[in-house]
Amino acid sequence: MIEIRNVSKRFKKAWYALKNVDLSIAKGDFLFLTGTTGSGKTTLLRLIYMDIFPDEGEVAVAGFLSSTIKEEEIPFLRRRIGIIFQDFKLLKDKTIYENVAFALEVTGQSGKKMREKVMKVLTLVGLSHKRNDFPYTLSGGEQQKTAIARALVREPFILLADEPTGNIDPEGSEDIIKILQEVNTAGTAVLMATHDVELSKKMGGKFLNLEQGQILKT
Amino acid sequence: MTFIAIGIMFFSLFLFGAFLWGTFNLFGVIRLAREKVEINAFLRENLPEKQIEELSGKLMSMVGVESVKYTSKEEALSKFQEEIKDAPSLIEAVKTNPLPASFSIKLKDGFTSPEKVKEVSEKINIFDEFITVEYGESWINRLDRVVKILFLFDILLGIVIGFASVFVISNTIRLTVLARKRTIEVMKLVGATEKTIHTPFILAGSIEGGVAGVMSGGLLYLIYQVTSKFFVKFYFPHNLIIIGTVVFGIILGMIGSKLAVKSTSKEIKFETSNV
Repeated sequence: MIEIRNVSKRFKKAWYALKNVDLSIAKGDFLFLTGTTGSGKTTLLRLIYMDIFPDEGEVAVAGFLSSTIKEEEIPFLRRRIGIIFQDFKLLKDKTIYENVAFALEVTGQSGKKMREKVMKVLTLVGLSHKRNDFPYTLSGGEQQKTAIARALVREPFILLADEPTGNIDPEGSEDIIKILQEVNTAGTAVLMATHDVELSKKMGGKFLNLEQGQILKT
Repeated sequence: MTFIAIGIMFFSLFLFGAFLWGTFNLFGVIRLAREKVEINAFLRENLPEKQIEELSGKLMSMVGVESVKYTSKEEALSKFQEEIKDAPSLIEAVKTNPLPASFSIKLKDGFTSPEKVKEVSEKINIFDEFITVEYGESWINRLDRVVKILFLFDILLGIVIGFASVFVISNTIRLTVLARKRTIEVMKLVGATEKTIHTPFILAGSIEGGVAGVMSGGLLYLIYQVTSKFFVKFYFPHNLIIIGTVVFGIILGMIGSKLAVKSTSKEIKFETSNV
């Protein structure tokens, strides 16, 4: 499903953010990507959703290859991946419902089917009752749940989470990880980057430890 | 933000429209001056009427000649007397008629430059029937110099206003697009194509440009109405100026939005504080 083969990525000419990384993610995997700030976690995620490209090696995601993908094909790759960030990236002028529906609207979906899909994911993250609220009225945890709902509404095969609990209190963080685990149980693979090793250990799952751009153990 | 953008675009387009209006009027004045360019060919004494008629026909058939007007000796004298009517002693001094009959020859557009006027007048001078052929050489040369300077100044001003409008409008649009950077970011994140991302911005930019164009065209028309009523009646080609500002506004809005959204979209790299 996702194959990362001998990938290196340099920034500022000679500084390696990732060096000779090999990784394979299969359907239904739940993987914690741990490591300190600057270890290369975000770089690895950006390579998967092809926001950047490797200097050496190759990334293969759902049939798209980093070496051959065209710029106009990237949106179609992104439609198969769900992505959430530490800063939620919600639109302030849209309600919770509209934020989630936006992901479908911009790819040409509308009508009853769209409404059903949106309500289904909002129910899954426990926010259907707050669908008409605006993001700024919600807690950090609830905002991240909205972002998860938006990422899931397109039914992706994998959810990439870049420090999803970075802006959330410990209680809310556990809540978020529980939702991610539920999503995983339903068949979606999850790759979560976090520097909070304790939290990830507590929640259980497979680990991938990155240090200075290299994988230490899996 | 939209209102500020429309306001700034309106101001730029107003300047552009005012420049267009000024240019049309400048060309109008130049045309009026050029219409005054004429060649005067003075005839020998006692030519038979038939010969004068034939000569008139020959002049009319010459390349570049727009019209030919004959002035007889008598008409020339009465015109002269009219001009000096405030000096009766001078009228009394003129006992006989010393003025020759003449042809006033007006030239077509494109034949009023000093070179062309000289060329036509030399051709007229070939006819034996004329004593002398005049065309006010120094005045035409001066007019030509003034026209060239005005034309150059107008082009330079046009370039400055054109570039300033493009610069101000494209930067204004860029700010409105940047204000919606998060929307573009989310669109990219969830897999919207570049066309889907660009379209609403291009539409909005075109509409804003069009609205600003209508407003500036409308204000120019209002100024024209007021100046016509209370001061001077300027030439105001409604269609060219109003349509010009609207079309220029729409095109600038469209292109400015397209470039701004394209560059903003390229800049987005899903920034986070992590590496």
